[in-house]
Amino acid sequence: MHYFLPFFRWCDSTWLGETIRSSRIYFPIIETFHLLALTILFGAVIVLNLRLCRIIMKGQPVQQVAQDLSPWALWSLVVILSSGIMLFLSEAMKCYASKPFQVKMVFLFSALIFHFTIHRKVTRTDREPGRLSGILVGTVNALLWLGVGLGGRGIGFL
Amino acid sequence: MSDVPAIIHWMQNSDIGTGIRESIWLFPIVETTHVLALALSVGILIWFDLRLMGWGMKHQPVSHVHKQIMPIAFVGFVIMFISGVLLFWSEAEKCYLSGFFRAKVLFLVLAGVNAGIFELATKKTIEDWDKYPIPPVKARMAGLISIISWAAVIIAGRATAYNLF
Repeated sequence: MHYFLPFFRWCDSTWLGETIRSSRIYFPIIETFHLLALTILFGAVIVLNLRLCRIIMKGQPVQQVAQDLSPWALWSLVVILSSGIMLFLSEAMKCYASKPFQVKMVFLFSALIFHFTIHRKVTRTDREPGRLSGILVGTVNALLWLGVGLGGRGIGFL
Repeated sequence: MSDVPAIIHWMQNSDIGTGIRESIWLFPIVETTHVLALALSVGILIWFDLRLMGWGMKHQPVSHVHKQIMPIAFVGFVIMFISGVLLFWSEAEKCYLSGFFRAKVLFLVLAGVNAGIFELATKKTIEDWDKYPIPPVKARMAGLISIISWAAVIIAGRATAYNLF
């Protein structure tokens, strides 16, 4: 981990990080946007994955459901990532020492990679995924994002 | 913390309240459950609201989205409500005195009344809306009020935790 230390120090000393730290209300306000956007993203993830597991919306093609959800999911992801980076800059040194933060980052990068590769491939074709592969992909995707959420909450508590 | 009703004082100092507040693990666990249930309830409800307003999921019939999505959102609401009551119990005095918490309750009531009107009255003609891409004005209004009030609940909830202003 110590290879990353200079990077975390630099993040901690950025103008943006220091500005957010200097105010009592910037952090909570940015965090509120982070939370509002993640509510939308998690909702979309849950709906799409329940469809993949054939629990809801069985009458609609997976591709159609994915297309209907994706513009909102993508924009909420943009808000989550940009607000998340701001929150991180303001307490980078705290994050450096935080186990939950490390866990969150591992889950985050895994979730993003999985989401834009395997998950996308399965949800963006005309072919309906097989029952088992649908359940597998849907469950893995949901668990990865759940890990991101749990890790994130952990940063605030531990 | 003097000027609070007896029941609030009692909750704060009861075994349950003190137990949650002072436990290293219990408070974070209940709080995390509350936030995750938020995604399950509001996160899913928002998709129905967006459909009501004709902004999202336009390819799915309204009645279909309602039937599929709402039972899951409801499960989320039950979990969120129970964990929320426990959180309130553990910090009853702080919450009672917080202006943000009062605002939160107000918006919760607004969201509840809005949902009640929709489920009991507006929804009666939902099957007819399926014929059109965008539902009638009263349904769109219900969706808009729902989104605004839930966003306000979340914002006020976060502000309560930080004890802002």
